[in-house]
Amino acid sequence: MKKVDDSKFKRYLGWFIKLSLVGLVIFTVLMAYLDAKVRDKFEGKRWALPAKVFARPMELYSGLALKPKYLIQELEQIGYQRVPNVQTPGQYMVYGNEIDIYRRYVRLYDGEEAAARIHIRFDSSAISGLWVDGAPTEIARLEPLLIGGIYPKHNEDRQLIQLEDAPDLLLNTLVAVEDRDFYNHWGISPKGIARALMVNMQKGGLVQGGSTLTQQLVKNFFLTRERSLQRKAIEALMALLVEFHYDKNEILEAYLNEVYLGQSGRRAVHGFGLASQFYFGKHIRNLTAPEIATLVGMVKGPSLYNPKRKPENAIARRNVVLGVMQEQSLITPYEYKAWSMRDLDVVQYSQYQRIEYPAFLDLVRRQLRRDYQENDLTSEGLRIYTSLDPIIQRSAEQAVKKRLDDIERDYKLEANGLQGAMVVASTESGEVEAVVGDRNPRYFGFNRALDAKRSIGSLAKPAVYLTALRGDQYNFVTPIDDGPIKVAGANGQVWEPQNYDHKSHGIVPLYQAMAKSFNQATARLGLNVGLSNVVSTFGDLGVERKLPAYPSIVLGAFELSPFNVAQMYQTIAASGFKTPLKAIRAVTTSEGDLLSRYGYEVKQTIKTEPAYLIQKAMQQVVKIGTARFLNSQFDESLNLAGKTGTSDSQRDSWFTGFSGDKLAVVWVGRDDNKTMPITGSGGALRIWAHTFKDLPLKPLFPLPTENIVEHWVDLETGAISQENCPGVMKFPFINGKTPVETTDCQSKPGKAWWSKLFGE
Amino acid sequence: MKYILLLSVVLLSACTTPVHYPADILSSEVFDELPNWYDDRLGLQLQGNNQYPSAPHGVLLQQADLAFAQNNLQNCQIYLERAQRIATRDASIYVRLSYLYWLQEKPTQALQTARRALSVVGQDELAKKEIQRLIASIKQN
Repeated sequence: MKKVDDSKFKRYLGWFIKLSLVGLVIFTVLMAYLDAKVRDKFEGKRWALPAKVFARPMELYSGLALKPKYLIQELEQIGYQRVPNVQTPGQYMVYGNEIDIYRRYVRLYDGEEAAARIHIRFDSSAISGLWVDGAPTEIARLEPLLIGGIYPKHNEDRQLIQLEDAPDLLLNTLVAVEDRDFYNHWGISPKGIARALMVNMQKGGLVQGGSTLTQQLVKNFFLTRERSLQRKAIEALMALLVEFHYDKNEILEAYLNEVYLGQSGRRAVHGFGLASQFYFGKHIRNLTAPEIATLVGMVKGPSLYNPKRKPENAIARRNVVLGVMQEQSLITPYEYKAWSMRDLDVVQYSQYQRIEYPAFLDLVRRQLRRDYQENDLTSEGLRIYTSLDPIIQRSAEQAVKKRLDDIERDYKLEANGLQGAMVVASTESGEVEAVVGDRNPRYFGFNRALDAKRSIGSLAKPAVYLTALRGDQYNFVTPIDDGPIKVAGANGQVWEPQNYDHKSHGIVPLYQAMAKSFNQATARLGLNVGLSNVVSTFGDLGVERKLPAYPSIVLGAFELSPFNVAQMYQTIAASGFKTPLKAIRAVTTSEGDLLSRYGYEVKQTIKTEPAYLIQKAMQQVVKIGTARFLNSQFDESLNLAGKTGTSDSQRDSWFTGFSGDKLAVVWVGRDDNKTMPITGSGGALRIWAHTFKDLPLKPLFPLPTENIVEHWVDLETGAISQENCPGVMKFPFINGKTPVETTDCQSKPGKAWWSKLFGE
Repeated sequence: MKYILLLSVVLLSACTTPVHYPADILSSEVFDELPNWYDDRLGLQLQGNNQYPSAPHGVLLQQADLAFAQNNLQNCQIYLERAQRIATRDASIYVRLSYLYWLQEKPTQALQTARRALSVVGQDELAKKEIQRLIASIKQN
């Protein structure tokens, strides 16, 4: 019997030893795997840092047309605090027509700007005096607004800090609240687990976790949120490994950067560095005790105790933490009492609680993709400096929204059926300053400014007239027939364009045909100058799409996006010098080393003389043509130029206009391409006007050359006349392309086509 | 017939008026503000009087010239582009940019930028000639 027992025992023992050996091997392999994972994460790049995208830094100088309210708007957006007395960087004060700013230190791609006191004096609408640290100066810059990030798929954002950056009070509070044995345990805390068990049993549920800071870090770094024994076991093993390899300071620093502390839209706020900026608008080292208590309190439940969204919960939790701080003698009972009564003092506007500009960021991202891998953009913490002007952007967003609301109300259309898009660029540098891609400017979705390809209608006409003015046959007063026109197509179809008013206007001078946007005259002119020449002009202006040489292209029966149109008109606005539109100025590493720069590039594609004439013609569109509404809205001395466009059956309302420094293209339409009760003048033009009504614009002076001459022309005969004769008007011409006929005040031939235009 | 033709020419010239140049490029002192840059690699001495406008962008032009003297072409270009955003029609900025592009072995861009300078130079004949000389030199190389 004993023999049988012995053999059984030996057999069990054998199995036990074998199983133990197998278990040991599995355990060893598992530990080796976990160890490799831990070391790989800690010793490699721990966090994917999203690229940060900045607007242009505001340049301040004497003579800059800037209203104080816009400077204040900019200061508020970049997180400056208005105070009665400026004392520290990040503050400003306003008194009378003067503003005092304590600029923060800022590092840009092209150098640094030291922290300094900037004093600005305004006259009615411009800066009249500028001082930096008490000395008069010519020019100064502010830090740029952070306008967004290029996030990895998980949308994590953080601002890395080092342990030395964190105040001792923060470290002590964190340890006191989350893991009192942190400096004594090896990654797991039996005492902590026992304490949590007791509390949970008393409360009858899962109230307190027994995880150490190391375990929390491991969970965030490597594991899912799944609650299972297996995951807990792996978490504990990994925590032991982390403690085995790294010292407490390294672990604490990693924790400070990793911990999740709330959400800002689609962006997840991670780490105390970003959280202190996001909630309190300050660097972590400047946090006060109650602010520290608020942030540490959030660790337990970032959504539940979010000070912006759930202030009551946050105050209650902060006071609990303040209680722990007092209990641990980190603060005095008096301080506890005083700080428990305080408001949370979270900032409403801060650099890090940013308004995002999805349409502009979309453009930035597309332009960056030419030079950077997506992975670099979402993980290397690159700093991207763009040309966005937040003041213009805001004005454009408001204008699009307001006008679309007004149209829908006035015409009793269904709400939110209309859509709009807008692109604003600098005429000379080609820098894009604002992009609106949806009437809801915060919408991350279809970007109409870049992707809505719509029929451009009459916006094509300047290219037709430019083609004519580039040739030898035409000048401003060349008569064009605006009578009915029919063109037979290849398949027996007949193209028969009509004017908007369904009338023919007989013989009209060229400039008038363009100013009044006559379709019949333009169609005839386009056919006369040659469709291939018109196509070639479109190419020279910057239309990259290969256009078919169909007659209807002269009236814009082809599709372009607002961005494409902006490129086309930039060339006209810059007197024939094409500059590729760009949104990015430079990219640096997270340390500020310059990686790439996108400088000024230009190519003359249209000669200066015809460019001069077409600008003059577009000024006529504003003076006497379809864009005269602008006359009532802007000072005449701005000499604005523009062109309205309405596509077939009023499916698209367009306007493009430019001053001496800004070009903007506006589109209004419906996503389902249905018709609208508005034209280019009624929709897009109004948005343009609303955008720039309150913003400074430089006057437009077309650039002449010595080849441009001016003549007084008798409006009745179209012949060159003299200044003091009745019925004359001055026109510019390219030398050698002037009218051949001359007349004096006395000898006037019979009535001509001019009479029809200007009456008897 | 000859007399009619002659009369037409006289009439034409009588009623031709000089074209109006925009106020922002009216200054006849453009030449004074052109740079007097020189670099061995190009061998072309720009012959401007190197004076700085009193306008705010004058400071940036000074800094650009300093960067050029230190052979820091990147910074030089950055200063010039800042200046250009403030004074979009200052021919001296485009002349400097053109020279820089040429130095950076981008002759096409240099030529185009010099043409831009010519388009904004206005009526200063000396400056015009200097820019034309720059254009001719770029083309020759």
